[in-house]
Amino acid sequence: MSFEMWAEKYRPKRLDEMVDQKEIVERLKSFVKSKNVPHCIFAGPPGTGKTTAALCLARDFYGEGYREHLMELNASDERGIDVVRETVKTFARSRSIGEIPFKILILDEADNMTSDAQQALRRTMERYTETCRFVMCANYSGKIIEPIQSRCAPFRFTFLPREEHDKYVEHIADRENVQLLPDGAEAIFEVCGGDLRKAINTLQSAASVNKPVDATLVYSITGRASPADVQKMLNTAIKGDFLGARKQLRNMIQKYGVAGSDIIRQIHTAIFKAEEIPELWKIKLVDIAGEIDYRLVEGSDEEVQLSALLARLVEAGYEMKT
Amino acid sequence: MYAAWVVKHKPKSTAEIVGNTEAIKKFSDWVNSWSKGVPKKRAAFLHGPPGVGKTVTVEALANDLSMELVEKNASDYRTEDAINRFAGLASQYGSLFGVKRMVLLDELDGLTGNADKGGVKAITEIVKTAKCPVVLIANNAYDPRFRNLRNFCLLIAFKKPPAGGIMKHLKRICEREEVQADENALKFIAQRSEGDVRSAVNDVQALAQGKKRLTYDDVSWLGYRDRQENIFNVLKMVIYGRTSWGAKQAVDMADVDIDMLFEWIYENVPAHFTDPHDLALAMDALSMADVYRGRIRSTRDWSFTRYVIDYMTAGVAMARQNSKVHGWTPFKFPSRILMLSRSKAERAMQSRIGFKIRRKCHISAARASKEVLPYLKIIFKHNTTMATGIAKWLDLDVDMVAYLVGSKEESKTVAPFLR
Repeated sequence: MSFEMWAEKYRPKRLDEMVDQKEIVERLKSFVKSKNVPHCIFAGPPGTGKTTAALCLARDFYGEGYREHLMELNASDERGIDVVRETVKTFARSRSIGEIPFKILILDEADNMTSDAQQALRRTMERYTETCRFVMCANYSGKIIEPIQSRCAPFRFTFLPREEHDKYVEHIADRENVQLLPDGAEAIFEVCGGDLRKAINTLQSAASVNKPVDATLVYSITGRASPADVQKMLNTAIKGDFLGARKQLRNMIQKYGVAGSDIIRQIHTAIFKAEEIPELWKIKLVDIAGEIDYRLVEGSDEEVQLSALLARLVEAGYEMKT
Repeated sequence: MYAAWVVKHKPKSTAEIVGNTEAIKKFSDWVNSWSKGVPKKRAAFLHGPPGVGKTVTVEALANDLSMELVEKNASDYRTEDAINRFAGLASQYGSLFGVKRMVLLDELDGLTGNADKGGVKAITEIVKTAKCPVVLIANNAYDPRFRNLRNFCLLIAFKKPPAGGIMKHLKRICEREEVQADENALKFIAQRSEGDVRSAVNDVQALAQGKKRLTYDDVSWLGYRDRQENIFNVLKMVIYGRTSWGAKQAVDMADVDIDMLFEWIYENVPAHFTDPHDLALAMDALSMADVYRGRIRSTRDWSFTRYVIDYMTAGVAMARQNSKVHGWTPFKFPSRILMLSRSKAERAMQSRIGFKIRRKCHISAARASKEVLPYLKIIFKHNTTMATGIAKWLDLDVDMVAYLVGSKEESKTVAPFLR
């Protein structure tokens, strides 16, 4: 076993090594061939290879010394307008030496930039196109302002299909001498929903226990956000105990750091599985879940939003009885 | 029923205001001087601690002189539109009907909190050319942001009025409300307020409303509960408010900021909304208030604050349709805040580890501490060999390792391997 995070160790280095997003990879390769690339937006859910694709692209362009021609900024940590005005501008306007006349700036989690900063970015992108190409990675391209979107070639990343996902996870288990049982692989997919980074992290932490990785182990490792927990919260709410359900929710978020989007995804699945919810109610609840999910995407307080959903579940439970 | 006494018994004339006689005279002399032509300083800058009567003075004097008072809300300043409209207002002394006009910009402190130098600059421009008295109010006029603006203003300092004056004011209110109040009870409240008249009046209302008598025993325990009484009263206005306007007023009475008030309401709504439909509606209103907080963050447009306020006060109050109140349910301190403050050190540690992860894993520190760190905890608990390797790879220090392992003792097994 090696001693780093496997998610990094097995991150593809070249476009050729990328397992999925085939069409995107083909287009990126053609950019490398023609030695030119437009500004790009890589949009899609987490763990689908956006950052990896951007890094591979840079490596294929510049070879192993790619670091000299590349800047990686993360908008979640450096989201203000000052970063755009100073750091980005300084990097973007200086000329690149070498065969490729431009540098690449990867702006990760770009949907977390303030709109001020995005406005400032817009001019920088245009003015320094000659010397710098931007790759913006984002979960939701909708949170990137129109003028920037129109300057970029859009690439839409999707979750890996089950087959590719399993193949990759199994490949890593193989290389690291981890005994991964079929139901373990299935549990990983269920818990992580196709997010490859999360899947690999789950695999590694399960492997750290030094036992064969089966479904029970995966669920106990991720017990902090296993479907059972969400199911329990759902039942508490439907029985009418709002405060109890909110407490469980708070624990998940504050103590275990479960992401709100994960919780709502699991609520969504659980609604259809729950036998105590009448069929007619299921679609009504999904309607509400969708609205709350959207509010979450807009960047709000996770606990407040999800407890508004819990209150709706309490209401539904009450109406089912009467 | 829950009309705030601070509003109900607000002085109508400057003669009724507690203390600050010199400041008030200086201010009224300046306003009067406008009838002889535009004075050298076209704006007066009233400053001083909260609750000493700055705003009330302006309102009462306008009333005394039968002037039209145009007030601007703190959250309006930021938009350029609002400032331009304000410029239009300030360009005329007499209004359409011959009434003289005074323009008031309250709570300028709100401007300083955020990177908006343009706002202060625009206000300075307006002050330079104003054709009618412009009054500015802030707690701290000596904030560096106001440096240039100050040059064009007549500075008038408001000080904390003495307890004796506050006591007389409270006495007058009690008489009007037909509450028989012990002298020493009012004295206690007046002293405790430390010159903040508004909070003193709120305290009296919280303790005396609906009673015939107010004794020293009623108030002596205030010391323990301190400012909580204020927030309880505010919560009552929101959670049991009958009109949306009344509920909205609560925000002005609260001596906590809007985010904290939100937490109080969010904590206490469930216990006081017993009907599931009401609860769902109230929680939805809070959810929408929160959505607008998010919109403020992403657009930096603080004028959206008004919708946050509307949803969290009026929205909650109007959700109450069928909920019955069973006896007295006490208000509770926001437990989420308690939990957060308890885990403050923990979150600081998480973010430090997050930055270490960021260096290696092409992921933001914020997301790393949320999404990767939980897995590290599991690894560090179960597998010392793997943990040691990762600790080296990420360049973690001993404290970080101790945190991930979950105990100081066990971390010793890892510590020796750290450089």
